Amino acid sequence: MASLAIKSGALVTLPELHPSSPFYEEGASLRVTGKLQHYYVETAIAIIADGSATLNIDTQHLRDLSFRVGSIYQFIGELHIQQENGAILQARVGRNVDGLDLNLYHQSLQLLRQFHADRMNNSSNLMQF
Amino acid sequence: MPMDQSLLNTHVKLLAFDFLSLSPTADPTVFSRFGKLLSRAEIVGTITSRDFKPNKFVRFTIDDGTGCVPCILWLNHLRSPYFSRRDPASVRLIANAATEFAARIKVGVVARVRGRITSYRDEVQITVSDVVIEKDPNMEVLHWLDCLRLARKCYDVDVHKFK
Repeated sequence: MASLAIKSGALVTLPELHPSSPFYEEGASLRVTGKLQHYYVETAIAIIADGSATLNIDTQHLRDLSFRVGSIYQFIGELHIQQENGAILQARVGRNVDGLDLNLYHQSLQLLRQFHADRMNNSSNLMQF
Repeated sequence: MPMDQSLLNTHVKLLAFDFLSLSPTADPTVFSRFGKLLSRAEIVGTITSRDFKPNKFVRFTIDDGTGCVPCILWLNHLRSPYFSRRDPASVRLIANAATEFAARIKVGVVARVRGRITSYRDEVQITVSDVVIEKDPNMEVLHWLDCLRLARKCYDVDVHKFK
């Protein structure tokens, strides 16, 4: 089934995506969000930022997405670690998320992770029917 | 101990990891979540794949950041013997709605999907009954919060007695 081959993009913020992070590994499927700083038409490389953290996004596989510096974008794709240039996300999905309440997003992400962790811890204690 | 059927006919709002951990029961139309029986679900997330077979189905996946939910939208209502005993006018309405939904399903959009919980090759999936494309980027976040609130205030109530 096709869906089995498609990995979920783990929700991660750019400040969390540093070399010692568990998310920072070759081939990791991630979902990242940030403000577009630069877009290089000739290479289809976008640079997004969240605070002082930035990430390069390879957008060559994306269609029907226009890039506007200063807008907020969300990408799902696979992380590739490059020795010279750091990490780059090979995006397979991207969208403009202007209007997203980033404070709400970040706070909700923490609640979501806590809920997920609690469920993983508790599920082994609950009877399955 | 009797199974709890209070949510059986409700579209329960679930995160993907929660949906994907539902357990099958002896009835193929019913699934169990910690002892509560479910048959319908609602999920919200980004469409990350789409496989379109004209007049047959659209198979797609929804990624909400906690997992990928396989979905199938049938498009064979006018040919399927399953619908041949039903009122033709009603079947045409269902078929037309499904065709409209299929046109909305595109990789990259955020969709709210409702439908029946089914399984295919031992994997749980949603057999889609309706699709809404969410334009407001905050809707996915609000769905997370809905799922958390409902789990704690409704779906998980009485679960602890099963500990």
